Amino acid sequence: MAIQTHTETDAQVSSMLSRRDFLAFCSLMAGALALPKSSEELISKALASKARVPVVWLELQDCAGCSEAFLRSSAPTAAEVVLDILSVDYHETIMAASGKRAEEAKEATIAAGGYLLVVEGSISLDEDNGYCCIGGKSSVQLLEEAAKNAIAIVAVGNCACFGGLPKANPNPTNAVGVMDLIKDKPVLNIPGCPMNPVNLTATVVHFLTFGALPEMDALHRPMFAFGHLIHDNCERRGHFTAGEFVREWGDEGHRLGYCLYKMGCKGPMTYHNCPSVRFNEGTNWPIGAGHPCIGCSEPGFWDLETYTPIELAKFTPPEQYPGIVPPEREITPLGAAITGGTLGVVVGAAGAFAYDMMTRQAGNEQKAEDAKLGPDEHGDQK
Amino acid sequence: MPINRREFLKTAGAGLGGLALVDSPLSQLEIQAKQQEANDQASMLYDATKCVGCRACQVACKSRSSLPPVTDPERIWERPLDLSADTWTLIKLYDGEEGTSFIKANCMHCVEPACASVCPVAALEKTDAGPVVYHAERCIGCRYCMAACPFGIPKAQWYSNAPKIQKCDFCADRLAGGERPACADACPTGAINFGSRQEMLDVAHSRVTDTERYVNTVYGEHEAGGTDVLYIAGINPLLLGLPELDDRSLPSIDWPYMKAVPWVVGIVGAFLTATYFYTHRNESKEVQDGH
Amino acid sequence: MAIKLGDIHLRRYKVGPGMIFIWIVGALGLAVAAWRWIAGLGATTNLSDHRGWGIWISFDMMAGIGLAAGAFTIAAVVYIFNLKKFYPLVRPTLLTGFISYILAALTLLADLGFPLRIWHLVIYNNIHSPLFEIGWCVMLYSAVLALEFSPVVFEALHWKVPLKIIHGIQIPLIIAGITLSTLHQSTLGTMLTIMPYRIHPLWYSPLMPVFYYISAIAAGLGMVVFESYNSARTYGYRFELKLLSSLTKIVPWVLGLYLVLKLGELVVSGDYVYLLKGDLASVLFIIEMMGGVVIPMLMFADPKTRNTSNGIIWAAFYAMGGLIMNRINSALTFFGGALYLPAWSEIAVSVGLTCLGIIMFDAAVRFLPMFPEPKVEAGKK
Repeated sequence: MAIQTHTETDAQVSSMLSRRDFLAFCSLMAGALALPKSSEELISKALASKARVPVVWLELQDCAGCSEAFLRSSAPTAAEVVLDILSVDYHETIMAASGKRAEEAKEATIAAGGYLLVVEGSISLDEDNGYCCIGGKSSVQLLEEAAKNAIAIVAVGNCACFGGLPKANPNPTNAVGVMDLIKDKPVLNIPGCPMNPVNLTATVVHFLTFGALPEMDALHRPMFAFGHLIHDNCERRGHFTAGEFVREWGDEGHRLGYCLYKMGCKGPMTYHNCPSVRFNEGTNWPIGAGHPCIGCSEPGFWDLETYTPIELAKFTPPEQYPGIVPPEREITPLGAAITGGTLGVVVGAAGAFAYDMMTRQAGNEQKAEDAKLGPDEHGDQK
Repeated sequence: MPINRREFLKTAGAGLGGLALVDSPLSQLEIQAKQQEANDQASMLYDATKCVGCRACQVACKSRSSLPPVTDPERIWERPLDLSADTWTLIKLYDGEEGTSFIKANCMHCVEPACASVCPVAALEKTDAGPVVYHAERCIGCRYCMAACPFGIPKAQWYSNAPKIQKCDFCADRLAGGERPACADACPTGAINFGSRQEMLDVAHSRVTDTERYVNTVYGEHEAGGTDVLYIAGINPLLLGLPELDDRSLPSIDWPYMKAVPWVVGIVGAFLTATYFYTHRNESKEVQDGH
Repeated sequence: MAIKLGDIHLRRYKVGPGMIFIWIVGALGLAVAAWRWIAGLGATTNLSDHRGWGIWISFDMMAGIGLAAGAFTIAAVVYIFNLKKFYPLVRPTLLTGFISYILAALTLLADLGFPLRIWHLVIYNNIHSPLFEIGWCVMLYSAVLALEFSPVVFEALHWKVPLKIIHGIQIPLIIAGITLSTLHQSTLGTMLTIMPYRIHPLWYSPLMPVFYYISAIAAGLGMVVFESYNSARTYGYRFELKLLSSLTKIVPWVLGLYLVLKLGELVVSGDYVYLLKGDLASVLFIIEMMGGVVIPMLMFADPKTRNTSNGIIWAAFYAMGGLIMNRINSALTFFGGALYLPAWSEIAVSVGLTCLGIIMFDAAVRFLPMFPEPKVEAGKK
């Protein structure tokens, strides 16, 4: 994989921030990538030595939220370091150029090849109706052109990964994600709404350190960030297990930080690392703030009902104590049939017996017997 | 109703066999002696307001009695749904209109237990120390104890073809060695108190005066003639699964009938013999011997 | 060697397909009982911790022993009250009683958790326990019945000396038998008195021992009627309608006393309010009273009904059915506890043991001089 780079010296990189901050960043990345502590050195070497990788950042049917998230870092360290390591040659929101100049920059980068393509926003397949037409080209065209010479494609945000908000019912633009269109190149998905910028940063660092995209799941999401359910790492899981739920906004349970499952939390079906890395440099995350997870890293989450609890596939919150009255035994249909059948047989037999008796000559039996016997029987007749 | 029944019993008894069936009234001294004996026995007071549902008592009981684990249908270990041959004590939860309370279910170790009274082979025995214990080697498995207990405590080992009856035995062996029952030792909050029945009654009565915290009743003081396991709670015990019983001890209901057995034998035997001789008075001896 | 089914004879009586069917069912019942011994009660019954007693106790034991009361009643009538004309009724009733008690013992062997320890009643005692008294009375009474029935066997074997001995002690035996029966029939009711919270107020009463005793006498007399009719139908013997009609004249009085006591008790104790509820209990109680007490009472009281074989049989059925219903209602249906329907294996054992009883009776008729009078030839199966 030939990487076309603009070279930069070590001194220039390290002069832009203190060594301590730089190492702190590497440590953060090691943590985000779930790598052992020893990787910090590896990462620092890779970041310090590698030349800048060009990036084309496409924004299609997007809200720019993922870009904003990426830029919204209160500690300049993360964004700056990455932006210093990456050469972001095309980004509609942040680049200085506009109009034809911007397009030329993009075309030049594409022609030169060896760049990382980051896609934000969904693609509209409905080209005829002109949804998402930028610079006279449809989103399909834009994507296909940009993907041609890219060494890797990273789709950021739920829209680029799975279609996101535009794809939600009724999906007027016939929106799809990148991987539905690009089949011949590796596409890494970093979903979220917005994506967690830490995950993008970590992916880039991984790419630079190891020269390959991180391990992916079936939906092409990096395992280090999307390998675990939110439910399994949630700090409120204990409340779930103890059967302590928020039942109304602002109730006692809500104030005490109880589990939000009954308020519609999609944590049990959502793979993401929000409980661990949180947002805004670890400030907080939705559940920590008292709002149920909406499942934004999962395909089609916009079509779920936010406040309706989901069916739990594997484990329902248990009733933790037995009730006062033990559960009643059930009468199975078979049991009822057996008893009913027996009663029926008994009644039927009695009926048959009765019928048999009635059709005999009632009352005449005694006379007949008396007639046939001799006179030596019991004396008294009362 | 109970008063009517007692009176009716006495009338019926009189009609049936005279004084034999009417329990001779105990003298004051005798009654006091019986009470004293009961109040010296080992007793347990469960204070539901102090119980936090930690189930240390359940675990301690299983451990001391070497009982196998029992789960609910979803395979949760700490939540057997009811007492059974392998679960001798159980923490249940009342969560309803009156509030929330835990309740510990186990044998009540009645002062005059119905189970011991009805067992034909005396396999269940009310010991002087207080516990009602089970002698497995005697049991014939008739399950009369299961039917007679008003609390529904004795449970059978249905899975076995030699089904013993199992229930809490108040750790009788531990008591004999001067120790407390396993559950009482395990309780971290002091919800389970152990002492003599008199002591436990005193503690219970002193606590229930706090009507903000407790319902003003000590369950087990008089129910079924009194039990050695007493309950106080912040919610009416009848909502916590404890049955509504009057103060008659159950054995006292059928003991008059059993006491009358020799009388019945005598009276019926005498009546039949007399009738026989009367109806055969005119017959010769040979005819009498014939069929 | 082909044997036509209609040609099989055993000791001068045919063995019909009905009897063969009964043998098969009896064998199956025993097999299921054996399985119960191996697999335990949990696997073979629908009993549970909150339902320790099922149909084996309420029907086979309690109703079974109640119906066997004909034996001591007829013994009292013939031997104590010296009404010799009823003698022809003695042997079959005695046999039925004896067989009933054997079946009760067999049922216990099926139902007890430790059937092989049934003899523990001899080495351990608890005079407070009604079941202890019942156990002893049943054991002793079974011995008495065996001895009372033994003359039939000795006659068959032509053993004169034992015959004489038994004849010598017959009256004391009978007095003992009636006394023992009085005790255990009433104690079956006493058994239930210790459970006032479990038994429905319509059935629960301090007079239950009296109720059980009186109803046993009435149903026992019904059983005598049924026994005679059955022998007539199956073996071609004389249906002693005249004797039975005379004997059962007392039944309306017995049932009347029962009715008065029962209703009186309901009024005095105030439990009659449960009749007004209109629920299942009140409905079944009324059916039991009407069908099991009032109707047979009226039928037996009416000479026209009593003197026809149809009428007297039906009256007997009603009386016996009333007893069975009463025992099942008080000890099973309205006995507090878990929901319960008998398992097929419980029904199989009950039916199988009943068939065993029929087989035993049949064997006795074939092999022993059960009916000393000559049988009627014509018009029988």
